[in-house]
Amino acid sequence: MALNRKVAIVDLTSGTIEKKPIPLEVRKTFLGGRGLDAYLLYKYAKPGCDPLGPDNVVIFSAGILGATLASASARTHVMGKSPLTGMVGSGNLGGFFAPELRWAGFDHIVVKGKAAKPVYIWVHNGEVEIRDAKNIWGKSVTECQWAVREELGDPDIKSAVCGPAGEKMVRFANVMTGIKDAAGRTGMGAVMGSKNLKLVAARGTMDIKIAHPREALENDKKFIDQIVSAKVNQTQGELGTPFIWGATNSWGGLRTNNFQYNQILYADDVEPERIDEIAAETMGKYHMAACFGCQVHCRAKYKIPPSPLAEKFGVVGKYDEGPEYTSQGAFACEPGCTSADTVLIGNHLVDQYGVDNLEIGSIISWAMELYEEGILTAKDTDGLDLRFGNDEALIEMVHHVCNRDTRLGDILAEGGIRAAEKIGKNAIKYLIHVKGMSNLHSDERATPGLALNIATASRGSDHLRSRPAIDLYHLPQEVMRKIYSSPVPYDGPLSSDHREYVGKPWQVFWHEQCYMAVDCLGICKYHTVFLGATLPNFEDWPRVLYYNTGIEMTPQEIWTVAQRCNNIERLFNIREGFKKDDPYKGDVLVDRYHDEPARRGAPDVIGATIDREKFKVMRAEFYQHEGWDENGIPTPETLKRLGLENLDKEPSRI
Amino acid sequence: MPGDKLSTAEGLRATRTYGQVRCHNPSCTSRITPEPGANTAKCSICGSEWRIFWIKPGFPRIRGPVWETSQRLANERMAKISGRKEGA
Repeated sequence: MALNRKVAIVDLTSGTIEKKPIPLEVRKTFLGGRGLDAYLLYKYAKPGCDPLGPDNVVIFSAGILGATLASASARTHVMGKSPLTGMVGSGNLGGFFAPELRWAGFDHIVVKGKAAKPVYIWVHNGEVEIRDAKNIWGKSVTECQWAVREELGDPDIKSAVCGPAGEKMVRFANVMTGIKDAAGRTGMGAVMGSKNLKLVAARGTMDIKIAHPREALENDKKFIDQIVSAKVNQTQGELGTPFIWGATNSWGGLRTNNFQYNQILYADDVEPERIDEIAAETMGKYHMAACFGCQVHCRAKYKIPPSPLAEKFGVVGKYDEGPEYTSQGAFACEPGCTSADTVLIGNHLVDQYGVDNLEIGSIISWAMELYEEGILTAKDTDGLDLRFGNDEALIEMVHHVCNRDTRLGDILAEGGIRAAEKIGKNAIKYLIHVKGMSNLHSDERATPGLALNIATASRGSDHLRSRPAIDLYHLPQEVMRKIYSSPVPYDGPLSSDHREYVGKPWQVFWHEQCYMAVDCLGICKYHTVFLGATLPNFEDWPRVLYYNTGIEMTPQEIWTVAQRCNNIERLFNIREGFKKDDPYKGDVLVDRYHDEPARRGAPDVIGATIDREKFKVMRAEFYQHEGWDENGIPTPETLKRLGLENLDKEPSRI
Repeated sequence: MPGDKLSTAEGLRATRTYGQVRCHNPSCTSRITPEPGANTAKCSICGSEWRIFWIKPGFPRIRGPVWETSQRLANERMAKISGRKEGA
């Protein structure tokens, strides 16, 4: 059946491999994917360990619905302690790796220790091997995937890899698969590099038996129809995620010039419609692709068109996918650039180096402000004119950070907080981060609910943990009430006005459980209430779960699993040093959110800041919904209700 | 297993609207109905003006602001805020 997949514990120091079944009770407690990963991280990573040392772990997993008939059951989750933040490290990627891992017989691969020399892990039809990676170490993200296919003689192998940036332990290096699928944020690629682990290759032909195939197919037809009929997904299928960037810039919600502004003016060349034209010009009309089992097909394919910049860096005609809206942020608004060429080139480089586009774009933009403020000088930049809007300097710095081949590049590769300590001169004042992770390119000053989301997210500033993005849609009260009063009752306030503070803590709390549930199931967030109010959520998942796996759970039970897993992430962060008001590890926003009003955009965005006192009230209410005390610590009652009261003492359930 | 009762998501499907966009001015968000195939549309409530892209016939989306109008409204707002602060 769909559940008879195993966990492999791979110790790279000793070379030992254990294979363990996943008991049904554990399934019902954590489901799979990110939820079970959080439990395994808590139990297998040594408390207080160096994230780049052998006592950390890196975990690769599929969700419980992976490779079933459920729509978009493609997601791979990667977890460990973050070398960027020192707290929860986590990334989630699409593509085709997780289904292949399940066909190969495994749902979770837990890697601990450190290999004496570069290795890779080969997972195939119930077997796990550690193999010499001398032929693939040093290769780019796509080169190493093709090299391992050639070495093992199977062109259908799928791999989760670290690129050159991960090998050099850039603290925000990604785990990648395919052309551009990235488990971004928090540096899981650096953890792979620290273990001398180049990739995990998977290939399998073990069937996933569907519990009730006829009913699963019938139900999925309705499910898919619901998904593809949503306007937001039709837009994604045409323009990809760049439409989000375009919509946000239109009203003034984009961090520009490292958060000095909130809108990039006259950026028509970077708008999704222009990116789409370039993709069509270089790849033909039907240039959109999809991940495994997905009908939305939001990923564009493109080749880099000729331009002086592309010629200078030798990338004319290079094939890639995307760019996602995050690359528009990283290579357009944040560094103050307005060229599609720069976005496409930057996107290609981060995909090949295997580095987080959000983090590298943010940190170079931060360095640009430091340069314009005189905190960094031409001596520090080796003569590079690191001003906003200098496309060439931006791309040059991407190479230097990923290769760590200049002093400044090496410093920035350490992540913002460490870099600020090395640079000194109050450089930290200009760093835009939460818990040490750079913010998405979005500006939340006009949207308090979204600000609360990034401040309290478990892996640092993060729009994919609890963002109530539909708050921007001005939904009628009755629609909001329908969504947010299920599966657990809620009769408190809700506001359709996204500038309001009232009601937002519940929305953030609700979305936190929703996104955790999605990550446990292993499906895509674009198939739930992330960008579209009419997309499936808790009430829809029990049927998908039951027909595909045979597990019967109510919407409330799925909610409880999500809350349990979110609390494990919270407990992990507390174990690793979380303090509510700690500027580096707390649930706080940097001063610019509170002190510097938005200066561009729609009339009523101008002047917006996050009120400090109202923010604290929101945060306190959010803690109450969570069942946490005034310091953001889960209460004993909450832990008991979620079955986590003995988490520290109990032997690992796997 | 759950029966045939419509879930919240399924029930909300009937509320979708077509042929319209919402004004992106956060304090306005009123519905705008662009002329079929039009490149721009103006909000009759707040005066914001938007460039329009058509995902397909009958399915418009806001591509971005008409920059000149946007800049004018932004400057007016900034002047109002600055004046208020100076007067305070």
